[in-house]
Amino acid sequence: MTFRAAFFRKIAFLVVIAILLLPLFWLGQPSTSPARGARGGPGGILAQLRTRSGLSEAELGEIDPTSEAMRLTTLGLRGVAANILWTKADTYKMKKDWTNLSATLEQLVKLEPHFISVWRFQAWNLSYNVSAEFDDYRKRYEWVIRGIEFLKKGVRYNEREPKLLWDVGWFTAQKIGRADESKQFRRLFKQDDDFHGPRPLEERDNWLVGKEWFARGEELVEQGATLRGISPLLFFSDRPMCQMNYSEFLSKDGIFGERAKQSWSRALEEWLQYGDREFPTYEGGTIRLNDKERFDTRAQEIWEELEKLAPGLKAKIEQEKRARLRPEERRALDTPFEERTPEQQALAFEASRKVHVTHREVAQRITGPRRSEALKLAEEAEKALQMSSKIDQQRTIVNFEYWRMRARFEQTPQAIEAREYIYLGDEAFRAADLTRAKQYYDLGLQKWRELLDLPEFPQLKHDGNTGRELIDVIRNYQRILDARDEPWPRPFILQDIIDLHKDSVPDFEPPA
Amino acid sequence: MVIENLLPPFPQWFLPALGIWIGVLALVALVGFFLGWLVVALERGPREALVRNWQAVVQALDDFVRRLSLKRAHGLAYLAVKESIRRRVIAVFVVFLVLLMFAGWHIDPASREPAVLYLNFVLSSTTYLMLLLALFIGSFSLPTDIRNRTIHTVVTKPVRASEIILGRLSGFAWVTTFILVGMGVVSYFFVIFGLNHRHALPAANLQPVAEAPGETGTLTGLTAPAFGHRHRVYVDADGRGRVEVARGHYHSIRMIGSGPEARYEIGPPEGFLLARVPVYGRLEFRDRDGLDTDKGLNVGDEWTYRGYIQGASPAALIWTFSGLTPQRFPTGLPLELTLGVFRTHKGNIEKPVLGSIAVRNPRTGLYVETEIFESKEFAEVPEIKRLFVPRTIINPPSVQIIQRKKNTVEGIVLSPPNEDVRMELTQKREFDLYEDLCDNGRVEVWIRCIEPGQYFGAAQPDLYIRARDASFIVNMFKACYGIWLVTLIVLAYGITASTFLSAPVAMVATIGVLVGGLFRDFVIKLALGQTYGGGPFESLYRLVTQENVMSELEPGLGTLLLKMADVIARGFLFAVASILPPLGQFGWSDWVAHGFDIPWEHVLIRTLQTLAFVGPVIVAGYFFLRAREIAE
Repeated sequence: MTFRAAFFRKIAFLVVIAILLLPLFWLGQPSTSPARGARGGPGGILAQLRTRSGLSEAELGEIDPTSEAMRLTTLGLRGVAANILWTKADTYKMKKDWTNLSATLEQLVKLEPHFISVWRFQAWNLSYNVSAEFDDYRKRYEWVIRGIEFLKKGVRYNEREPKLLWDVGWFTAQKIGRADESKQFRRLFKQDDDFHGPRPLEERDNWLVGKEWFARGEELVEQGATLRGISPLLFFSDRPMCQMNYSEFLSKDGIFGERAKQSWSRALEEWLQYGDREFPTYEGGTIRLNDKERFDTRAQEIWEELEKLAPGLKAKIEQEKRARLRPEERRALDTPFEERTPEQQALAFEASRKVHVTHREVAQRITGPRRSEALKLAEEAEKALQMSSKIDQQRTIVNFEYWRMRARFEQTPQAIEAREYIYLGDEAFRAADLTRAKQYYDLGLQKWRELLDLPEFPQLKHDGNTGRELIDVIRNYQRILDARDEPWPRPFILQDIIDLHKDSVPDFEPPA
Repeated sequence: MVIENLLPPFPQWFLPALGIWIGVLALVALVGFFLGWLVVALERGPREALVRNWQAVVQALDDFVRRLSLKRAHGLAYLAVKESIRRRVIAVFVVFLVLLMFAGWHIDPASREPAVLYLNFVLSSTTYLMLLLALFIGSFSLPTDIRNRTIHTVVTKPVRASEIILGRLSGFAWVTTFILVGMGVVSYFFVIFGLNHRHALPAANLQPVAEAPGETGTLTGLTAPAFGHRHRVYVDADGRGRVEVARGHYHSIRMIGSGPEARYEIGPPEGFLLARVPVYGRLEFRDRDGLDTDKGLNVGDEWTYRGYIQGASPAALIWTFSGLTPQRFPTGLPLELTLGVFRTHKGNIEKPVLGSIAVRNPRTGLYVETEIFESKEFAEVPEIKRLFVPRTIINPPSVQIIQRKKNTVEGIVLSPPNEDVRMELTQKREFDLYEDLCDNGRVEVWIRCIEPGQYFGAAQPDLYIRARDASFIVNMFKACYGIWLVTLIVLAYGITASTFLSAPVAMVATIGVLVGGLFRDFVIKLALGQTYGGGPFESLYRLVTQENVMSELEPGLGTLLLKMADVIARGFLFAVASILPPLGQFGWSDWVAHGFDIPWEHVLIRTLQTLAFVGPVIVAGYFFLRAREIAE
């Protein structure tokens, strides 16, 4: 090769490099911020995309020089390094080497500070899996807190990620409040000065602290942050649920009276606010959980309006349908609910479906000038019922009605007194003071009776959750009577509860 | 501390290891001789090849034994040192200092065991840097000299190839020693300063403790946080204080002034840097039927390091200690215990599971329970459960004769047998550890779980007698010595590879040895078919076809060929692994980090292993260098 040819080849390479730099510049030019009178520039395509999607490092969260240095020193092999560290973390966990596990996780998150799954998975590992390895509950608590602190660090690196805030709330509220060791955890949580800092003692409750984090997550979503991997219905339910749980735990901690009432009142208020929030549905459109009653009322009003348009038509159609039922279906339908055999229950269910009359059926039978008005009303009623059904489905997911009812009845003096007496009864039983335990239990059961008979809560005694809770109370009462060698009182004050719910608690044996 | 492969005592290790070494060496020498013969035979015929090869061996013996001049070797070593200085190997030390400067970014002083992190960091950084250094200077030095022709200034002098190799090795060894000493000293002070912290104790933090007998006037409270932790402090009425252990250390406390004006000063951390000298026993298990077994129960752990025993049953963890004398342990046995606890039911969450410790005479079967203790699982280093078996045991909770039962082919064998059982031994109320419970210095320590439904688990190193505390500085020195041994091996391989390969290829070959040595245990497992997913070819097939490692391959010709290829590959792997140095086992950082003295016995074993690898490698290097024209 001559010198000349080699020289021209080098020149050609340089030209090609220079040409290739142009698209690189167009794509990768960094944005500049305005300073000292100079105008800032939006930067290249990538910089603009980054700004538009809020993906620039500064927007994601705190910038850590260590993290940046580590990422740079891996020379593009960050993924490989993260995989190695992940495997190492798994090995350390398997070998119960907790010190090195923590150190490896620290390195891992420094390499991948914006990989949300790393924070979530490993925090779960620390709070739920590693903590369970320890026999001493104080060590378990320490590792639960380590997991929470780990997540909080993740929040600092990822300020626009509501899921991490939600996780901090969930771990604080649920792991501390629902673990087998919740009594001990809650006690340690209250005493944990390092975790709480200047937070006053009465606010050092896992449910209240969890609620703060859920609220921060909600605030972020309201500011426009994207919620991924969790349904908004559940996401927004946790903050008010924390208030419910806090109120519930007050009675477990022996706190009753005005404080308990206020707490339940606040829980109801927050639950209703939650019910007023708009949620998207899978079919499109939005719903509000509180709106079900409004739609049901409107559907009922339309019945009345249709009745005015065609008096007795609905009853007539119903009669016609009833006439078409098979005799055994008719018999099942006529038998009172409590007296139906299992076969009759199925038949009655089928029969009631067959005799059901819709607004449209009535409207279509109306003739003359008011037919079009009737059809419009029927359509409106159908829409209202459709919405009501959609809301009903969503309500079931979060047990909306139960908690609304509960927050209401727990504020009544009967409920507060019932809970206080049962609590005192349990305490007396634990102290082997059987006489006082029975006295308190008798008073408590009396108050429960009064509560169940209140006209505001007709559904209360049929509610499964309340039923199961009361069966537990009854079972404890049984134990007290057994210990005192006393016969079962006849008639029993909550016999209807036993009859309704005896099968809902597997190992419950009703008194003979 | 977890020790998965505890080295056997030196007398048990030496002879079998020597036998294997001689065998492998003879085999390698034979293969080398045959290959040398083959190469020469192709040129000069088989007979002359044999004569020449033999002459070469005799010459080698002559060069290494009779005509080796230490003075010349020293001179060449001096040249190697000068060459290293010229190449600025000191840069490694600078890199080390830079690493330490930024270490604070990575090491969390609020960790559960900060000393473990600090020590592991400095020792592993030192190891990696030293290995890199050895790799570069070992592999590059000779080829560079040959390329620059500076080697001629040496080979034209009356020096032997053996002196060139030995000179280089010892010269580089001096350089690495010098750098290693520097790193060791800097590491020590880095750890000391890194772990140093103080806590404040405002007088307002102290509150009277709940009234308890003998505790009138005692105050308690928490120190201010530092390094992510606090300590609980107790101060009695006389102003004497005690700081509880947290994060693997404690502090001293001093009261300044008195009365309401009293202030408290908390000293620097203590107990971080220990070098406990453990005396290990041999662990056996006794199952719930009272039969001896090799393994404990598995409670579902993936890692089967610890075996478990069932509570409230005859099951026990039995350690047999030997060589105990009243001179070694005049007051009794100070034991330290790490236990795994597994609960099958919650029990009382706030109460630890109870266990018992007993000592038993292995000959008479006399079993004396000394204490009921509360278990402590996964405690940090200084918080490890401490138990003490006193020299004189008075009114023990339980005394009995226990016959060990072993299931053999002849049936159950009792120890001691029924005819040797002397029940009158149990009538005493006072027992002497050495007279009643030791048999020629042997004693059994029994740990049992006494709560039904709960389990205790342990591995052999989990219980030991803490004989004394050795010097931490000496322990650190031993760890550095371990690093030096590995460096020496890498240097020897690097220099030998560079005698017949170009520098980059020599480096790659040495990296191969290094990586192979670090993962030697895995390679041996692979060669012996103890890994999941088959040998190298089967694994590759599973990788490509995304087949999981547990399922059997479809029988057929393909599978048969794969398995056959694996048999050959495994044989090759085994041969390679046999001559690879077990570099992964040379690291002693865990011992130092967890506060255990590295036994001198281990130091001796590793030194002999190093010599066993370095010696033959140097000889091989000598032959390669002689075979090159440059050395003629």
